[in-house]
Amino acid sequence: MSRSTRPEIRDRPSWFLFDWSENMSASRWKFGIATALVVLSAPIASAQDALDADEAAALCHGGGSICMSATIPTVTATQAVQNWMTPDVGAAWAAGYKGKGVTITIVDDFSSSSRFSGNFGVGVQYQRHGEWTRQEASMIAPLATIRSKDFTTGSAVALATGLNVLNLSYGMYAKAGYSSNQIGWAPEEASIISYATKGSAVVSKAAGNDAVAVGGVTGGQQDYLDLALIGKASAIFVGALSTNGTTTNKAQLASYSNYAGSNPLVQSHFLVVGVTGSKTGLYGTSFAAPIISGYAAIIGSKFTKATATQITNDLLNTARTDTLVNYNAATYGKGEASLSRALAPVAIK
Amino acid sequence: MREKSGDRGSFRAALLLSACLGMSPATAQEMTTSLIGIHQGSPLSDRARDLGNGGYELQGGNWVSFNQWYHATWVDTHVDLLTQLTENTGILWGFGTGEQGEKYSVAPSLKIGFLTQTHPNPNSTLSFSLTSTIGGGLTEKPCMADYGDLGTYSVNCRLAAGEMAPEETLKYLVNAKPESMHLWLNYRVTF
Repeated sequence: MSRSTRPEIRDRPSWFLFDWSENMSASRWKFGIATALVVLSAPIASAQDALDADEAAALCHGGGSICMSATIPTVTATQAVQNWMTPDVGAAWAAGYKGKGVTITIVDDFSSSSRFSGNFGVGVQYQRHGEWTRQEASMIAPLATIRSKDFTTGSAVALATGLNVLNLSYGMYAKAGYSSNQIGWAPEEASIISYATKGSAVVSKAAGNDAVAVGGVTGGQQDYLDLALIGKASAIFVGALSTNGTTTNKAQLASYSNYAGSNPLVQSHFLVVGVTGSKTGLYGTSFAAPIISGYAAIIGSKFTKATATQITNDLLNTARTDTLVNYNAATYGKGEASLSRALAPVAIK
Repeated sequence: MREKSGDRGSFRAALLLSACLGMSPATAQEMTTSLIGIHQGSPLSDRARDLGNGGYELQGGNWVSFNQWYHATWVDTHVDLLTQLTENTGILWGFGTGEQGEKYSVAPSLKIGFLTQTHPNPNSTLSFSLTSTIGGGLTEKPCMADYGDLGTYSVNCRLAAGEMAPEETLKYLVNAKPESMHLWLNYRVTF
């Protein structure tokens, strides 16, 4: 086994996703490849919002240094629209449909000792990364069934009956230079990649906080989970805007956020949403992906017969470009996700 | 607002009715029929108009205004008549033309009833009328909404962009009937 050389991984729980003796065939593996699991929050980096990619990445994983103790309020289905959400969410709730009948599975850290503080509008809390992303998704789609899957287990992700949405606010980093099919994926990621390939679940993947193109190299490392999901039918990469965009107050990509890059396969499956860390104290594409997960659940509760791929395409095809500063596909992919447009008809008569 | 104007219409009709029934017996025996009111609009006509408030954006950003669907060039017009049978009784009848918009219709209606009056003393009149309306219902029509990859559905036009399942929106199509019976009692004293 080899340990990642990325400094941010040392201080975070790292999981090597395959057992060399069991999973590596001599003919297939000329080099030892280990991927390390990295959560994609940036609690401090974006507060300053001017750090370089490496600093941002490092700070993603050092959230504990600014943690403070707080009571953790219970999240309920009756909560109000918060100021960090787009007005679209409030409009979407007006008729009472908030993701009912859809299951969002949060694959994340629910067991480590690492916690950090933030505030989603219900008071300052001190939580693990997975508890934050779970809370955010449940606040967007409060009637969705939320499942927590600790990513340290490595076991396959099970799907529920009905529409499934998988939230991946983490990456799998290893030394750059390999193709994703050279990775001996654990059953967990193998199942996720399979679901995205077959369109069995909407897979909302945080784009990453290294300010590089999705799948790009940073510090000699690559996120192989990003690479593995490129071109998959129901995968969406989610980048972070520094605010929610409007036509009169356009938003721009957060300085830390990975962008779509020049690959058309990424551009066509890349969305951006506002991560208003100035209001929540939480930064990073980790907190962009749960917004898309929530949107997918709300859309799924409207179109109860729709497949994961159809809902993925609905979100991608209805993204707005007129709310973004200097829109271009290489930066913003398809554009800023618009829940109201995703729920609206193409035409009506 | 329309309810109030309807009351005013009824009151005006009542005065006319009283005047008609106050005619001489000879005239009454000739079964005279009097026009006692013509008015446009009704509570359901107003309700249809209210459905035209609002709109939403389509996926491409084009604005759809409900007004185009809930606008009628001809507003439901009601004609009320009284056929006097005796000095103190008469038949009230009339009809409404109905109206039609792109996504709703108010059906034509018929009104039938009677009016009677008595004089408790020489200076006073107690009048009573009962009318029934047949037809005149408001029916909202569905739209066909194209959701691209997600399919084409018959929907409630007004709720197509909401988060309600398309088939669920049909439950909220308006299907209302007008006031079917109208009872009217009036006591008048002349000083």
